[in-house]
Amino acid sequence: MKLEGTQTLPAPVETVWESINDPETLRRCTPGLKELSATGPDAYAATLTIGIAAVKGTYKGTLTLSEKRASTHLKIVLEGTGGPGFMKGEGVVDLEPQDEGTLVKWTGDIQVGGLMAGVGQRMLGGVGKMLIGQFFKCLEQHLGTGA
Amino acid sequence: MAVRKVTLRINGKTYTGRAEPRKLLTDFIREDCGLTGTHVGCEHGVCGACTILLDGEAVRSCLLFAVQAEGAELATVEGLADGDRLHPIQQAYQDHHALQCGFCTPGFLMTTLALLRDTPQLTETEIREALAGNLCRCTGYQHIVAAVAAAAEALASGAHPDAYPPFARPAGHAASRRRTADPARKERERSAANDRRTSGAASKRRPRQS
Amino acid sequence: MKPAAFEYHAPRTVDDALALLDAHGDDAKVLAGGQSLVPLMNMRLARPGVVVDINRVAALDYLTLGGGALRIGALCRQRTVERSALAAEHCPLLRDAVRLVGHVQIRNRGTVVGSLAHADPAAEMTAALTLLGGEVTATGPGGERTIPADELFVSYLTTSLDPRELITEARFPVLPAGAGWSWTEIARRHGDFALVGVGVVLTVRGGVIADARIALTGVGPTPVRAARAERALVGAAPGDARWGEAAEAVRAEIEPDDDIHASAAYRRHVAGVLTQRALAEAHGRAREAA
Repeated sequence: MKLEGTQTLPAPVETVWESINDPETLRRCTPGLKELSATGPDAYAATLTIGIAAVKGTYKGTLTLSEKRASTHLKIVLEGTGGPGFMKGEGVVDLEPQDEGTLVKWTGDIQVGGLMAGVGQRMLGGVGKMLIGQFFKCLEQHLGTGA
Repeated sequence: MAVRKVTLRINGKTYTGRAEPRKLLTDFIREDCGLTGTHVGCEHGVCGACTILLDGEAVRSCLLFAVQAEGAELATVEGLADGDRLHPIQQAYQDHHALQCGFCTPGFLMTTLALLRDTPQLTETEIREALAGNLCRCTGYQHIVAAVAAAAEALASGAHPDAYPPFARPAGHAASRRRTADPARKERERSAANDRRTSGAASKRRPRQS
Repeated sequence: MKPAAFEYHAPRTVDDALALLDAHGDDAKVLAGGQSLVPLMNMRLARPGVVVDINRVAALDYLTLGGGALRIGALCRQRTVERSALAAEHCPLLRDAVRLVGHVQIRNRGTVVGSLAHADPAAEMTAALTLLGGEVTATGPGGERTIPADELFVSYLTTSLDPRELITEARFPVLPAGAGWSWTEIARRHGDFALVGVGVVLTVRGGVIADARIALTGVGPTPVRAARAERALVGAAPGDARWGEAAEAVRAEIEPDDDIHASAAYRRHVAGVLTQRALAEAHGRAREAA
């Protein structure tokens, strides 16, 4: 399930760049991310509880950052397996300065397998967009208060 | 979670067992009551192999917990035949080669039983729509549709007056079996029952329960 | 696939049910028809610690007419509405929509109110409530409150209900005198969730459209009222050209998603087609209003 969108954030590119590389910010703003612990440079072990309303699943896996070009481009991969199956989200983020802030162009590819997919496939795109929206909203608030 | 005693009636006979609340009715019928004619297909309400009648209405037994059926009147496929004498619906399925592996068949039979009881005459489109909640992997459905049409004819002929035993008929409003003195509820029940009596053909065909 | 263990309660009164919800908060789930909840529990995608089975609360099983609306209690089965003379006479749109909910076996247990509380994005009952401008009564620790349709449905499978609240009644306004109606949907197989569903209510007065309501399901996280298309119809003379314009307006208004069952483009196209058909059918049924 491929998704894409744009978002403007109220901070200069360098600040936005620092934020999305910062594990604390990632932990706070990634919906459902319960635990994040570093296992290496730009690599983390993650526990994620994700779902909608009563339909929830807990996944254990990894979060990795790659393709880093400072203040410009980043790839985030979050994947895990759990009772309800597996999930993998790959996001590519491109930043450019826009007026006083930053224009974020993102593309995402979400895959879900197992039982969760059987039930949730119909809503995957919509829910995926919603969760990505939540991520950026949280980021916006965080940057707005002056990181 | 505490195991509970569950007492219910299947095909006119009383069964008692003990079950955790999470035990599905399908499993209770099969394991605790020993009636394995009701089959387990998908366990999430899609395939219809587990269809039984509960208080006269076709339901998916995999979506009920056994404890919910306490005191209920169930009908399963074992209640259709009379000894060696097949029920007219079963006979029609056999005559029209409407089963191959037979796994889906009990579910289809129970759906057909309730269908023809409530709608004795129906078009082919109506048959197909009414059977849409039961999946068959073997037959391609054509023979099943033919069997249901033939069964409808056989039952309409009047040659099978006992085709719908009491345990296969709706017992009326479930709440009416619990006698309480709440006048407001009784009034709602009365108007709901009136509503059902005037709600078209189905109620005219249903024999009055005394 | 068997559900995880849970504590089971089968209260006989609304008060007892509420006390249980209050005690257990979001660890409890209400079990009414179970046609959406139990599959999730069987697959262990939902694992409530406590199940509050309201099927023994006889006081919630009713379908009456009052205050200009069909009043449907929390335990009223979808099949009851399907067979109801009251519904056929006063709100045939609801009757037409409920017929397309799943299959007979599902409607024999499933409840109208349960479908509202579950809030599936492709449900018929949620769209019908939205279309008719209906509302529910939610009862909780703070007492009763009324929630209109457009405040009830928040997102995918999400309502504005508090976990300790129970919807006790849903009210679907009756159709205005002489109004025409239509419910139409498209699905790959009979009984499947709709890819797109459209409901229309149309009132004609003096040869001109006096009121138009259009609601869609399956094109977003919640049911959608096509407000712009509705406004463009009011005051206009009915006719095929008008329905075509309304179809285009609906296409411009909605933002459906891609999924494996249908692309956004397909949904958008079909939404227009169904809108046109529904408007034509509703117009055919409309009688000049007084």
